[in-house]
Amino acid sequence: MSALPIGMYVPGNSILHRLDPRVKMGATLVLMMIPFAVHGLWGYVALSTFVVTAVLLSGVPLGALLRTLRTVFWIAFLMFFLYLFTTPGEPLLALGSIAITRQGLLAAVAQIYRLCLLVTVASLLTFTTSPIHLTHGLEAMLSPLERARLPVRELAMVLTIALRFVPTLQEEIDKIAKAQRARGADFRTGGPLRRARNLVPIFVPIFVSAFRRADELATAMDARGFRSALHRTRMRKLRLGSLDLLATLIVMGLVLTVIWLG
Amino acid sequence: MLIQVENLTHIYNQGTPFERVALREVNLEIEAGERIGILGPTGSGKSTLVQHLAGLLKPTAGRVLLEGTPIHSKGATARKLRLQVGLAFQYPEDQIFEQTVFREVAFGPRNLGLDEAEVAARVNWALEMVGLDPVAVAQRMPFTLSGGEMRRVALASILAMRPRVLILDEPTAGQDPQGRRALLDKVGAWQRETNMTLIVVSHALEDLARLVERVIALREGRVVADGPTRQVLSDVKLLRAIGLDVPQPVALLQALRQAGKEVRVDRFLPAEAASEIARVWGLRGSVT
Ligand SMILES: Nc1ncnc2c1ncn2[C@@H]1O[C@H](COP(=O)(O)OP(=O)(O)O)[C@@H](O)[C@H]1O
Ligand SMILES: [Mg+2]
Repeated sequence: MSALPIGMYVPGNSILHRLDPRVKMGATLVLMMIPFAVHGLWGYVALSTFVVTAVLLSGVPLGALLRTLRTVFWIAFLMFFLYLFTTPGEPLLALGSIAITRQGLLAAVAQIYRLCLLVTVASLLTFTTSPIHLTHGLEAMLSPLERARLPVRELAMVLTIALRFVPTLQEEIDKIAKAQRARGADFRTGGPLRRARNLVPIFVPIFVSAFRRADELATAMDARGFRSALHRTRMRKLRLGSLDLLATLIVMGLVLTVIWLG
Repeated sequence: MLIQVENLTHIYNQGTPFERVALREVNLEIEAGERIGILGPTGSGKSTLVQHLAGLLKPTAGRVLLEGTPIHSKGATARKLRLQVGLAFQYPEDQIFEQTVFREVAFGPRNLGLDEAEVAARVNWALEMVGLDPVAVAQRMPFTLSGGEMRRVALASILAMRPRVLILDEPTAGQDPQGRRALLDKVGAWQRETNMTLIVVSHALEDLARLVERVIALREGRVVADGPTRQVLSDVKLLRAIGLDVPQPVALLQALRQAGKEVRVDRFLPAEAASEIARVWGLRGSVT
């Protein structure tokens, strides 16, 4: 229960906090894709060194990050065994009709690594980027789609609002679950069907309050004169600085290194 | 001894930048049948404390015992114990999920494993206790009721479990003065009828003055006062120190006292204060 909520912004003044959101988002995307280009040990070493350094620079407490990682533990667990047992190749160990192969073991480890990297990098982005900067960054990343007449600004805003409400939603689920437990609800026993049914007392109230919240937010935005079609100007324009340039170069360097190491 | 709280400490989000100490070394003893008010400004740890009393949180340190058994522990015994404590969260209407009022109120009793006849009897009883007509509302959709009625349905859903300990977290939050008065009078009546242990959380002194005999005051997660209602609510220095408004009658008597009148200051109901002033001024007649 004491994990940092996913999507929570941790105010701070680290180098990562000060980077331009567009640079951070670009780097995040690159880092999410880069593992697919890594094949050898040295590639992994280079990538890991980079990510660990970024985590240390961000000033986000390690314990908090590890607890966030724990939220994907079961997915990771399932993936591990799925890859371990289903990848054909040269067998290491046979258990009856199923065999663990060398390729399977490597693939399983690689999958876990990719998942952890994904979660770490994504949390690093939200931990160090304020919601307003996230919106700006998203807009910039999506702006090529403006040509296709997609409402990019609105899309960015919707995504940011959604992100903003993740912690609120988590708190609310926690509160309602406790309230129903106090009424004798049991979320831990029974078969899968029964367990799913037992979640109704949590999800109905959550949906009701989510709709109410959306309604209130819409009213509040209306009352402040929000119009979606308007072109808005910014009080603070994003400007790339030398730090951003440096970061971009470092990330590009990382990409080249990883590709070169193979 | 019904409930014992021993060195209870609770820290939210321990080890993250959002770490927050909500309770610090709290020790309490509560006897069966007591009527207790928990007082303190917002953020002082009241809700955290009552969730511990209901066994819904895991203590960071210390423990909570109900009849000598740790209430948070695993297993069937502790679960049975927890079900003897009914906790209505702040804004309990947020937890409503069923399609009819009847099913909503029946949820708790059904979880207790009671048979349907007993469940129906309890639902009727509980709806009557909160001042709703079972015949009129039982088959209605809860979401078509007014806010005040929904709150009463939610409270009925807890009463219907017939808890030995009833805890209400800010039961009057967001209600108008008449609604508050009416609700608190009802709560008093439930307590007299069932003789349960009652714990009411509030930061409004007036709510507690009429209802409880003992007040526990919290400040920044610590118990800073624990005593008879009369004593705690007229302790001007304490109330100011924890950042709460002194009840107006007490403030008036205090001012008279400073002006040299020999009045008692521990009269926090308006009528009591008026009688006290009348007495000192030598006026006769009673004020109601
Ligand atoms: N679920 C939670 N997660 C993190 N912090 C919390 C949570 N609930 C309460 N707190 C914090 O713990 C402290 C005590 O809160 P609470 O027990 O709700 O106080 P009260 O009910 O007196 O207002 C506050 O500082 C609050 O911000
Ligand atoms: Mg509270």
